[in-house]
Amino acid sequence: MRDDPSVVALVVRAAGSDQSAWNELVERYAPLVWSICTRFQLSNHDSEDVGQTVWLLLVEHLGELREPAALPGWLAKTTARECLRVVTAAHRSERLGTRLDDADQFAASAVVDEEVLLAERNAGLRAAFAELPPRCQQLLAMLLADPPPSYAEISAALDIPVGSIGPQRGRCLGRLRRSPALVALVEGDIGVTVPGGEPGA
Amino acid sequence: MRDGWDDEQLTVALREAMRARQAVPDWFVETGKSAYAWHNIDAELAQLTYDSHRETAGAPITRSEAASIRALTFTSAHLSIELEVTAGSLLGQIVPPRGGTIEVHTKAGVTSLPADEIGCFSVAPIPAGPFRLRCRTTDGTDVLTGWITL
Repeated sequence: MRDDPSVVALVVRAAGSDQSAWNELVERYAPLVWSICTRFQLSNHDSEDVGQTVWLLLVEHLGELREPAALPGWLAKTTARECLRVVTAAHRSERLGTRLDDADQFAASAVVDEEVLLAERNAGLRAAFAELPPRCQQLLAMLLADPPPSYAEISAALDIPVGSIGPQRGRCLGRLRRSPALVALVEGDIGVTVPGGEPGA
Repeated sequence: MRDGWDDEQLTVALREAMRARQAVPDWFVETGKSAYAWHNIDAELAQLTYDSHRETAGAPITRSEAASIRALTFTSAHLSIELEVTAGSLLGQIVPPRGGTIEVHTKAGVTSLPADEIGCFSVAPIPAGPFRLRCRTTDGTDVLTGWITL
């Protein structure tokens, strides 16, 4: 995770003057910033303030990031710090003199670690999905719906025989598994836990 | 994990990844993208060097102190911007005194107002969200404060 080459390249380009690289960074990591705001149960208004502050701080420090690959951790820590600031400011208006205590700090650091791991896994999966051929993306997108449509509906929508949906799904998932974005994630050995409980459940 | 997920696990993980992205409102993403407008701004940054509220944060705060006027100072190599927060407005002065233009940047946009010949200006109403001030003086100094939330 610490040497994701695509993230490093994006940071370098954004530190130049490449708005599209910046946009890609925001697309990739906005879910991380958002999920931490959600963990702190911020209102939409406060989340917007925190998000704005975090991205502005990043804009100002783009050229100084010594390890661009450590960006997700930096973003998560900065977001948690800003969330704590908002939360304690709210407390202070009710009870003067409230300050961050060790428990708050500890809770924030646990949130940061969890969310960074999850966000990197999710970003890798989305990047891998984006690299799939359009037919695979369409099929998997239908199968991901909850509840998923019947094979008859998928067959009609995508114009493929019912009997080949299962095998195509297998091939598409195989491609996904082998995509560089996902392989990098696995090789990074970031202690990703398998979601959804038991294998094959 | 080293051997990869089976098809079911991969489907579950992918669904979770897509949901995490879909849960993020568009406006939240757009806020992030528009922050890039601040990249490579050719102004000198002024740091917050004094905040009367922060000065007292270490000690027990009495109500009278908390209710007193808040004063902030932003300092750059060439000038300082001194601010006082009053009930309805933000009073400021450029130090050392000189005239110029003050821009108030908020997420909604930019408003301009003049600073008189001794550098005094008034921002009313006080912006509700984060804002920053850009000060361009008549002698060509261009200074930008950090973000302020009052």
